[in-house]
Amino acid sequence: MNQLVTVAEMTLRELLRRRGVLLLLLLMPLTFYLIRRDGYLGQSVRSLLLGVGWAVSTAALFATTAARELEPRLRLAGYRPHHLYLGRMLGLWTVGLVVSVPFFLLPLSDGADLRYGGLAAAMLCSVGVAAPFGMLIGTLLPRELEGTLLLLTVVTVQMLIDPAGSGAKLTPFWSSREIATWAVDHTDEGYLTRGVLHGFVVTALLVLGVATVASVRLRRRRHLRHLPVG
Amino acid sequence: MNDDWLRTFAAELHHRRVAADAARHVVAEAATHLRDSGGDPWAVFGPPQQYAGAIVESIGTAPGPRPGPVRLHARGITKRYGRQTVLRDATLTVRAGQIAAVVGANGCGKSTFLRICAGLISPDAGEVTVSGRLGYCPQAGGTADFLLADEHFVLVGAGQGVARGPARRAGRAAARQLGWEAGGNVQARHLSGGTRQKLNLTMSTLSEPDVLLLDEPYQGFDQGTYVNFWDQLSRLRDAGTAIVVVTHLLNQLDRVDTVLDLTPAQPAGWTAGGRP
Repeated sequence: MNQLVTVAEMTLRELLRRRGVLLLLLLMPLTFYLIRRDGYLGQSVRSLLLGVGWAVSTAALFATTAARELEPRLRLAGYRPHHLYLGRMLGLWTVGLVVSVPFFLLPLSDGADLRYGGLAAAMLCSVGVAAPFGMLIGTLLPRELEGTLLLLTVVTVQMLIDPAGSGAKLTPFWSSREIATWAVDHTDEGYLTRGVLHGFVVTALLVLGVATVASVRLRRRRHLRHLPVG
Repeated sequence: MNDDWLRTFAAELHHRRVAADAARHVVAEAATHLRDSGGDPWAVFGPPQQYAGAIVESIGTAPGPRPGPVRLHARGITKRYGRQTVLRDATLTVRAGQIAAVVGANGCGKSTFLRICAGLISPDAGEVTVSGRLGYCPQAGGTADFLLADEHFVLVGAGQGVARGPARRAGRAAARQLGWEAGGNVQARHLSGGTRQKLNLTMSTLSEPDVLLLDEPYQGFDQGTYVNFWDQLSRLRDAGTAIVVVTHLLNQLDRVDTVLDLTPAQPAGWTAGGRP
């Protein structure tokens, strides 16, 4: 448990010191929201959620890539793979939640007629999915540029795809969009249920994906036999 | 000129197995004498080898190392990248209280061999047996840009269940052995290359490993730190650590117990093996 908390804490410390990057990342949800603010509020809130997802997954990608060289030696220092990826994920989820607060308050300050419980749930889904999503890309693609381009592609697809089409459900942030529709357009409960279910399933699958890749990458190699000190 | 003489003298004392603390004391005394008198060391003390001999007769030597149990045994290590074979049948045995040097030309697989020993990559053939805890210091990287040195110590310490305070203190003490005061409020990315390597090296010794694998860890070290580095290796060896150090600086080979030369003997079909 101590290992998990220490990795989470160090992830937090590292991210909070990347102030320039964080500020630039936060600009995206903000501009997404502001650019449609005078038009259609629903679109504005959905863009905001997508922006939060983008910001957190990019932070996760950077954190994962930066830790690539460090993790093998931490493994040798006594950490198990799950300490490393779960600790990092915990740190990223915490950052994501902190970052979400002002964006949750933004529509509130505008006096928008929303179901704010729904907005909170959509934010949670967005952050919940984004951290393991960014980490998975970071573990699969060793360089930040490739990872960032892939993230950009996913976010663009997410933005342009028809949300009612069956293909939309394969995109990672569909859940927050669905819940946002419930929150903004006051649609029936089905949107909320589908969204929450999608959020849980996608988050679980992504965490499983990160766990699998990290466990393979940081596995004990078969050629190495450890004996106790005799 | 004094520096060259003193360096040779210090190396000679080490070579003759004068205890590290005593040798440091003697060298410091000689340096003070030379500074105060302004004399030529060759005229004042004579050749460094001869003076070291006189010192050994006077103060004696540290007890010779008793060969400890085998801590690392790498056997028949072969590694290919595509069609290129970078390691073929490399074998190395290191006992507790020994330093082994892995040498060879650029690209001959020194770092690959060490990474295989650390279990970071798999070989195509061969196996490695390690007794006890492993420590590994990479050639570069291996630190977190946005963390302080103390935070690195806490992070590494937590892996062994060491509390923050003791981890911090242990890290600072180990850094001090390399002539570095590590307690500052400086992120790793702002450290100079040499200081960053000191952090790297300190992290690898922090968990008190039984087998310490060092991949040219002295990149960017100044002369003083380089001497401190070899002194620290001697101390660790005397404490029973088995050390493998990748190096291309052959002038330090008199300070090691075993050398594994990975330079291909022939353009094709060569075999690497340890020599005592």
